[in-house]
Amino acid sequence: MALWLPRLSTDRLTRLIVSPDRAALAKTPLVVAGRANNALYVYALNKAAVRAGIYHGQPLANARAMIQTLKIVPADEKRDAELLEGIADWCDRFTPLVALDSPQGLLLDITGVTHLFGGEEAMLSLARAKIAAQGFAVQGAIADTCLAARALARHANGTVAPPDENARMLAPLPVAALDCNEDIMRALRRAGLKTIAQVAERGRAELASRFGGGFVTRLDVMLGRHEKPLAPRRPLPDFRAEQRFAEPVITKDVIAASLHTLATSLSGMLEREDQVLRHLEAFFFRANGKVERIAIRTGAPLRDPAVMLRLLDERLDALAGPLDPGFGFDVIRLEASLTEKNEIVTASFDDNENSRWQIAFLVDRLAARFGEHRVQRFVAQDTHIPEAQSATIPAQERDFTGTWMRRRKDDDPPLRPLRLLERPEEISAPLFMAQEGAPRRFRWRKADFHVVRAEGPERIAMEWWKKDGLTRDYFRIETDQGLRFWLYRDGLHREAGLHSRWYLQGIFA
Amino acid sequence: MTVPAYAELAVTTNFSFLRGASHPKDLVERAAELGLDGIGIADRNSLAGVVRAHETWKKLEPDTPLKLLIGARLVFRDGTPDILAYPKDRKAYARLCRLLTIGKLRAPKGECFLDLADLEEKNRRGLLLIVIPPANPEEAKPVLAFLGRDTWLAASMLYTGEDRRRLRTLKQVARTACVPLIAVNDVLYHNPGERDLQDVVTCIREHMGLHEAGRLLEANAERHLKTPEEMARLFRQSPEAIEETLRFAGVIRFSLSELGQRYPREPVPRGKTPDGHLRDLTEEGLKRRYPKGVPDKVLELAEKELRFIAEKRIAHYFLTVHDIVQFARNKNILCQGRGSAANSVVCYALHVTSVDPMEIDVLFERFLNTERSEPPDIDVDFEHERREEVIQYVYRRYGKRRAALTATVICYRPRSAIREVGKVFGLSEDVTGKLADTVWGHHGDDISDAQVRQGEQDPHNAIVKRAVGFAKRLLGFPRHLSQHVGGFVLTRDKLDWTVPIGPAAMEDRFFIEWDKDDLDTLKIMKVDVLALGMLTCIRKAFALIRAHENVAEEKLTLAMEPTDPTVYEMLCKADAVGVFQVESRAQMNMLPRLQPRKLYDLVVEVAIVRPGPIQGGMVHPYLKRRKQKRENPDTVFGIPKPDKRFDQNELMPVLEKTLGIPLFQEQAMKMAIVAAQFTPDEANGLRRAMATFRHMGTIGSFEQKFIGGMTRRGYELGFAEACFEQIKGFGSYGFPESHAASFALLVYVSAWIKKYHPAAFAAALLNSQPMGFYAPAEIVRCARDNGKVNVLPPDAAYSDWDCTIERDEKGRLCLRLGLRQIDSFSEAEAQTVMHERGFGYRDFADFVRRTGLSKRALVILAEADALRGFGLDRREGLWAVRRLPDDKPLPLFARLSAPEQGLEQIAPLPQMPLSEHVLTDYQTIRLSLKAYPTQFLRSRFDEEGFVSCQSVGAFADGDFVRCAGIVLVRQRPGEGTAIFITLSDETGICNVVVWERTFARFRKEVMGARLLLVEGKVQKSPEGVIHLMAERMTDRSADLRLLSGDALPPVAPTHRHPRNVRVLPPSRDFH
Repeated sequence: MALWLPRLSTDRLTRLIVSPDRAALAKTPLVVAGRANNALYVYALNKAAVRAGIYHGQPLANARAMIQTLKIVPADEKRDAELLEGIADWCDRFTPLVALDSPQGLLLDITGVTHLFGGEEAMLSLARAKIAAQGFAVQGAIADTCLAARALARHANGTVAPPDENARMLAPLPVAALDCNEDIMRALRRAGLKTIAQVAERGRAELASRFGGGFVTRLDVMLGRHEKPLAPRRPLPDFRAEQRFAEPVITKDVIAASLHTLATSLSGMLEREDQVLRHLEAFFFRANGKVERIAIRTGAPLRDPAVMLRLLDERLDALAGPLDPGFGFDVIRLEASLTEKNEIVTASFDDNENSRWQIAFLVDRLAARFGEHRVQRFVAQDTHIPEAQSATIPAQERDFTGTWMRRRKDDDPPLRPLRLLERPEEISAPLFMAQEGAPRRFRWRKADFHVVRAEGPERIAMEWWKKDGLTRDYFRIETDQGLRFWLYRDGLHREAGLHSRWYLQGIFA
Repeated sequence: MTVPAYAELAVTTNFSFLRGASHPKDLVERAAELGLDGIGIADRNSLAGVVRAHETWKKLEPDTPLKLLIGARLVFRDGTPDILAYPKDRKAYARLCRLLTIGKLRAPKGECFLDLADLEEKNRRGLLLIVIPPANPEEAKPVLAFLGRDTWLAASMLYTGEDRRRLRTLKQVARTACVPLIAVNDVLYHNPGERDLQDVVTCIREHMGLHEAGRLLEANAERHLKTPEEMARLFRQSPEAIEETLRFAGVIRFSLSELGQRYPREPVPRGKTPDGHLRDLTEEGLKRRYPKGVPDKVLELAEKELRFIAEKRIAHYFLTVHDIVQFARNKNILCQGRGSAANSVVCYALHVTSVDPMEIDVLFERFLNTERSEPPDIDVDFEHERREEVIQYVYRRYGKRRAALTATVICYRPRSAIREVGKVFGLSEDVTGKLADTVWGHHGDDISDAQVRQGEQDPHNAIVKRAVGFAKRLLGFPRHLSQHVGGFVLTRDKLDWTVPIGPAAMEDRFFIEWDKDDLDTLKIMKVDVLALGMLTCIRKAFALIRAHENVAEEKLTLAMEPTDPTVYEMLCKADAVGVFQVESRAQMNMLPRLQPRKLYDLVVEVAIVRPGPIQGGMVHPYLKRRKQKRENPDTVFGIPKPDKRFDQNELMPVLEKTLGIPLFQEQAMKMAIVAAQFTPDEANGLRRAMATFRHMGTIGSFEQKFIGGMTRRGYELGFAEACFEQIKGFGSYGFPESHAASFALLVYVSAWIKKYHPAAFAAALLNSQPMGFYAPAEIVRCARDNGKVNVLPPDAAYSDWDCTIERDEKGRLCLRLGLRQIDSFSEAEAQTVMHERGFGYRDFADFVRRTGLSKRALVILAEADALRGFGLDRREGLWAVRRLPDDKPLPLFARLSAPEQGLEQIAPLPQMPLSEHVLTDYQTIRLSLKAYPTQFLRSRFDEEGFVSCQSVGAFADGDFVRCAGIVLVRQRPGEGTAIFITLSDETGICNVVVWERTFARFRKEVMGARLLLVEGKVQKSPEGVIHLMAERMTDRSADLRLLSGDALPPVAPTHRHPRNVRVLPPSRDFH
């Protein structure tokens, strides 16, 4: 059985809306916009949009020109894929053999199960009705082979091809149902062969010499002469180690010993393939069927079994309750669910380099214990605005760019303080001052300060394309007590007049 | 306290492309305003902007103490800090030019590779150098030590937070290196308000959005010109650095005024002076021109010109032009002089021009002005396909260091500006593309709200508004330098002593950094070697006629005698598709009204549909008088007269020939002299003021003088105003009588070929593409309908690359379309087909084996239905090609021994419907000989009540009709307020006029539709010109999809030249 959800992306969006509005929404043309070659195009669209004359692959600007009220949502292929997975899971109720036919279809091997649902016709209707009730447009068909079912689902919705009659059912379908590449389709169209029947009538040698043996095989498969097995839905991870126990294990020691064995063997596998892992998963299958799953992400590439175990320990310790073995685990499995090629790192005599690795490991341990988003690091942002020059991201994240401002020479004093106040605090400075000078004294947090040295100004204009702001003149100053502050005047004389405000933004260590 | 004085020496203009954010003019004017004592223009490895600065400064000079210093900012590839270089004198200037030339010749086009080593002693003598210190000033020490004397170290106070600390270090560095410290502000724009624009151009340069550019942008807005007081305040710790700027400026004596051309000496026979040689050549030439004896008037004129040439010592220039033309003639390259040169008897005698001075009044003043010391300007057109030979000849003759092409400054236009600015603001390309597409053509100097709305964007959307705002400010900014089409500068000395030369994108081409306006400013002569497609076309047509038509050679020379009434008859009927200059819609409308009967009428015809006469409102009065004259040849027309104090007939000699109505630029200029009492020099100044945008400021005073001058002498105010409007119109598209006269002859010749040899004419036009207004489809249609030519499709079995003439079984001449008509089929492949053909191909298999064409090429041929010669129609052809093995590089000779595929017996494929054939024809060869697309839609159109194009003429004036057709051409003549659209269907064509206001409403339809429905009123003129005045328009392009089962992609507006516009998009079946 093949199922096809032609409006998966738009239906997903529509389903998010509560029902009374949903009917109204169904009438509004809605498109999902994808991006290709720096131009937006129509990636998916709802029925109303089709009715309005918009089509798949149309440049978005043209579509917008056709309908002023067009609702446009950016494409989210990941969400769509997740949703399709979800529907596939749900289809488990019909048969355990469900395959994804991405991006919008599912294939179900229903050999030998149809009688449970009252026959093929009834089963197809049931599947379509149930999915439709969830708010999805769905088409489906049943045939002897996947390819035939797929073609029928897309081009002759609701067909149940009687056994051995694929060819007859497929005959009137357009050549598009062959679902071969654009080049072949065009060649067929150009030759005036518009239906599958017209193609099927021609000699196999004639077709093979033009479109290759693959095409002929495909045609024959579709017409029911060969069959290919369904591909499994979830690819198995490349690296996993599993231990099955004759008796369910309960004691911590045994579990720890088992993990040790598994980690060592996983490490061995990785080493043979010259891989390192970035994502480690541990599964504890309880005898009663429940599965405990622990996932760990690492910032530093990992292969050392001892490190794996320490990270697992951190996580296990951090769980709210201890790992509950119930009546014991009968299977424990370790999977390397994300791996990458090992970049050879030459061992370094440099302490800096070694401590970098230690920090990475510390970060991984902390993240394993507190959660990935709890451990953050600063990254440099490329801007002149002081308070926007740093941002935080999860510390395990490796992909970041940006360089910190450098000092010009090693012995130069720092141009800016390391730490800034949460937000600049206004200080009271004498109202009238010489043009472009720093204040002689000021009052901050109810204390008076006398400035003995000052350097500046550093003039920083705001980013005019974001919001309007005044230009700031920054000064580094030292008070008579030896305190060093970073002050600025908000606004040049020509912008703010003589009465500009003063702020204290940072303190030099 | 003394008043501070300061000269700014580090100024970057927008000729440092995408770095500076102000025009040189603005910078110089601002510097004068601020009271600076000097301004030094130093662009990045370039002198491209200095002439404009010089020109502005020249105007200000009398009233300002400002001194202009000419220099360049040397930017090195070896990590050396930037150095500003200012030449002390002319010799040092030559060294600077040479230095930049060396750098440019090392680098690809538009770049300059310099190393510090290039500044060795012999190159830098006389150059004053200012080193811009790097981030760590200590690193400047070795450079300062290397450079030695005449070197300064720059210091700037740009609010970095440590200015004073840095200044102290710089002082130390300067002291140890024994060089003076000099203050600069490293200026990028004239006003602090331009900071945002500077940020935008930085982003364009770095291909970044504003949000990602970060610290690539300047931190503040301080890099503008500052007053001496402000600079003195900033440098209060080192006032000597400020004083140094004046000392620096004081040392420099060089000014661009010292440049001037040293024109190369042409070889002269032993014992003769150049003037004597020119005189001999002229006399010889005149004898050839007038075999029956040279008329006295001509002799007199020639004498006057020769005297003048001798006095101005420009005989060499004429000898150069003569030599180039001589070369072309020896090589059988057609050429013809045009422009002001046609005003010269000497040029006529030297066979540079073909306008007989007996027939057209030559206006010596227009050509050579005794008062102005400007160089003459001779433009010569050559066949466009063979001009390169002439160019290479010039290089060979003068050497690459003495000859180079002029530059063209490519500026931001609305389309390029909005595209690039849009990107900076993060607008996606489809949005900026839409905005850009609403701009008509490449030119224009504004982006209006209406256009933004037409681009389906909200002009009030903040981002769009901002982007459009910046795009407007960017208009007119130079973007890059490119080579001028053919303006050559020649010098006796090395040219790179006057201006830097760099390589062009084309191999073996070099161009200088200045454009023609710059050269005019500096009074440097140039020779224009231009390209004209029609000359190519004429030569090709003659070659075809000689080869295929058994025409006596004497008959062909008749083409040059512009007297045949049948040729004029054809033009009067507006049958002018493909004819030079008069094939545009506006010209075709004019032809039946003007009724040209002799060459001079064609001169008028060419010149009248121009902004000048149109803006001056002279067209209708002239046509009216012509009509009267036709009806009553004895009519005498009055001319505008001054009041009684003056000669009542003073304008008679000026206006006589054009029935008392001024039409030509020469007439307007003469009127300025005669009626408004301008001196010839002033009149010429007026013409020049109009010709270039950057002189706009001076127009007001001319206007007063002109109108005032005429009314004071008793002319009517309205007439004076109209004349001035006309002069303004001439400004942007100067089209003098002499120019029109040069062109008129080509109009006649091309019309003659069209009339008597339509097949050869069409073939030559097609073989000279791209040229002219019309797409191949229209040229072919015209040949079939008006010329009764039998046209045969391109066919691999018979066609050459070019279109050819052949005779069918009955011996009639036919036009065989060439393989060049097939989109994507390459000339090399066509050459193989021709080369291997011999006595013909046996069958398709034979063709495939012998030509060894790639499968892609064969698919293209089959797709274009060009295999019928082998008995395969489009479908069969494609099916057969599909069977061939895929291309793989066969080893040498393997092709010969490759096994042949066995013959295949297959069932016939379904017939392709005619409509689909037509559709595919349009997709592959852009025309169909089988049928017209609209005829398949006719029944549908009938149901909806649309009339055919031809039947529009059958309606009465004022009737309301609805007519749908394929859009052939859209035109908007220069300054016109109307848009012309030509619709066509299987019955003929229909001329639609859209007024500006209607256009504004239906812009999208007009610009985008391939199949357009027009509703409006029929308008008929007494001369039989029929127009459909559009009131409503609908895009019916979608109907074209009905021709095939395959849905066509919808129409996206594309604005290429009308002849490139496709009726249908190319099939996506290959590429």
